[in-house]
Amino acid sequence: MDLLPTPEQDEIVTSVRSVLADRHTLGEPLDDALWASAAEQGWFGLGVPEAQGGVGYSLVEEVLVFRELGRAGAPGPFLATVLAAHLAAGAEGTDAAAAAAAILAGESRVALVDRYDGEHLALLDGAHATLAFVAGDAPRLVRTADLGTVVEISGLDVLVPVGLVRADVVAAAPSVAVAADPQGIGRRAALLTAAYLAGVAEAVTEQSVAYGKDREQFGQPIGGFQAVKHRCADMATRAEVAVCEVFYAALAERDGRPDAGFHVHAARAVAARAAVENSQVNVQNHGGIGFTWEHTAHRYVTRARVLSNLWGSTADHLSALLDQPAAG
Amino acid sequence: MNLDFTDEERAFREEARTWLAEHLPTEERPPEGQAMREFDLAWQRTLYDGGWAGINWPVEYGGRGLSDIQQMIWYEEFARADPPFTLNNSCTFVGNNHGGPTLIVSGTEEQKDFHLPKILRGESVWCQGFSEPGAGSDLAALGCRAVVDGDELVVNGQKIWTSYAHVADYQELLVRTDPTAPKHKGISWVICDMTTPGIDIREITTMSHVNDFCEVFYDDVRIPLSNVVGQVNDGWRVTMTTLSFERGTAFMADQVELAAVVERLIAEARERTGPDGRRPAIQDDEIARRLATARAEVAALKAMTIAGISRTQRTGVPGPEGSMIRLFHGELHQRVYQLALDVIGAEALRLTPIDGEGNWTGPYLQSFAYTIGGGTTDIQRNIVGERVLGLPRVK
Repeated sequence: MDLLPTPEQDEIVTSVRSVLADRHTLGEPLDDALWASAAEQGWFGLGVPEAQGGVGYSLVEEVLVFRELGRAGAPGPFLATVLAAHLAAGAEGTDAAAAAAAILAGESRVALVDRYDGEHLALLDGAHATLAFVAGDAPRLVRTADLGTVVEISGLDVLVPVGLVRADVVAAAPSVAVAADPQGIGRRAALLTAAYLAGVAEAVTEQSVAYGKDREQFGQPIGGFQAVKHRCADMATRAEVAVCEVFYAALAERDGRPDAGFHVHAARAVAARAAVENSQVNVQNHGGIGFTWEHTAHRYVTRARVLSNLWGSTADHLSALLDQPAAG
Repeated sequence: MNLDFTDEERAFREEARTWLAEHLPTEERPPEGQAMREFDLAWQRTLYDGGWAGINWPVEYGGRGLSDIQQMIWYEEFARADPPFTLNNSCTFVGNNHGGPTLIVSGTEEQKDFHLPKILRGESVWCQGFSEPGAGSDLAALGCRAVVDGDELVVNGQKIWTSYAHVADYQELLVRTDPTAPKHKGISWVICDMTTPGIDIREITTMSHVNDFCEVFYDDVRIPLSNVVGQVNDGWRVTMTTLSFERGTAFMADQVELAAVVERLIAEARERTGPDGRRPAIQDDEIARRLATARAEVAALKAMTIAGISRTQRTGVPGPEGSMIRLFHGELHQRVYQLALDVIGAEALRLTPIDGEGNWTGPYLQSFAYTIGGGTTDIQRNIVGERVLGLPRVK
């Protein structure tokens, strides 16, 4: 039993970090060069079996990548694209096979269609996407061209464009591919979201700690004051709680353990709490500068809020967790 | 990264489960005094005879030399067996988790040979003599004075919050041996025989109705210099070793047990009528959400514990990250019992003992200790901030 990454997994993390450092700036929209590198490095098919055109690693390595995306605050339809790659690669039919190939090659970006207000569904990252992943109990892949009129609204997170589409139109859109294992896709979605959120929780902790060492008031770094130091300690603890449970859940899911569902819901719940609370406290720790548009603290706040509303709310996951049998 | 147990670990679990089914006492633990001491020591002797004492202690000191993972498996099996008492409340806790491990790291061969077998066999009870009325969170400000006189130390002063001092044989005692040195440099860690003349012990009753919380007065208490662990004036370093065990594995039993407590509470919430007087408690949205959150958090606590073990396996010593486990665990333990009182409704009017299945109000009162003992959560936050995150020290 070992809950820390292996040397091989550490190498994956190092390479993902270096790509993100070269091709992504926090607060900037998705760079096409980043998307191309991600495809080249196999991020979209990391956990897809080799026989299906993927890299043949597992959910655990995908979790490590999404944690890095979260730390970097990288925008873009990574989540829906990776899920769509799994869905399409595992589905029957030539349309599905073609979609899988295009996704893995980085040619097709996949938008996400998730809940909004009942009459409408939200289309996220629709701009450059040819395909859309429809979340829910029966996840499936459709063409964005079949979604009807898209009414753009202002997104809470300006780097995650949101459009509204009519739920009845989406329901009538023909499927490119249908999930063979809807529950498995749902657990993967929740866990990769959790991994991204855990990464956010860590990144904002590091922002606060760096600022606490640098910023001086009353003749000393503010991180020396317990009011700030203790908030940082709580942030670090929430982030550690989230990362550890996300790793545990990823391993349980990878190995098909009977309590995998339990741990995925738990991981999603603690990671969302860590990301939302930590990103909010991070603004406070920065004072006036943290409230400005120029500073990046707000980027994590809105990203955490958007992500914790996708693939089921935190309340949904807590409710599902309580319905599970006790963990083994 | 894996969650797999080795064949050896699986066999160990089977062995533990079988043994516990046959040997776990069924009678309630006496709540106080000599009867309590005898109960705890008898259980320690039973453990020793069965080969379950000092699971992760080195073989050369009478332990089994097994891994922290096996130690965790043992605690899991213990919790699963529905024991009528909690390991954390035992008066053998300090010997097994502080005194013993500190002697293993810093003691002389004579000290180890004399004390370690007694601890393992259930022949001695240890208590801790760290806090003083003027030295709580600021432990290094301690003033209990010890003067070298020939080959003895002569101790005068006072200690407080010493659990089980009234039934203890030995004490891990911190004394000020050089009042002129900077405060961290003039402290010594000594083994104090609690039967030495000049020691006066007074019981203090806690808010949880327990009277094993003591204050200890020292009036010209003579302790042989050979009882100093480490060097004279080197006690702070020795103490840090002790505290790293406390932040590492000492509370693992309680962490594992907490998962079982949450499951029991969920079962109760399904059976009991909720706050609206009509539906089961679990159908109340607020209670349901808090129960689910508790489930998620105890799962994460276990994951953190395993991550901590993984880190220790790589580096050899528990790291400062253990402070995050202590901090999270203490507050989580408290939240669970606060939730329990909301779940049981009017039954919260009845006071129960702090041990035993189905008892909630006693453990609730006891839970206040979890964010105070072993360094308050404020101190834990300082440690996380300074030693894990590298923030400047408090001025």
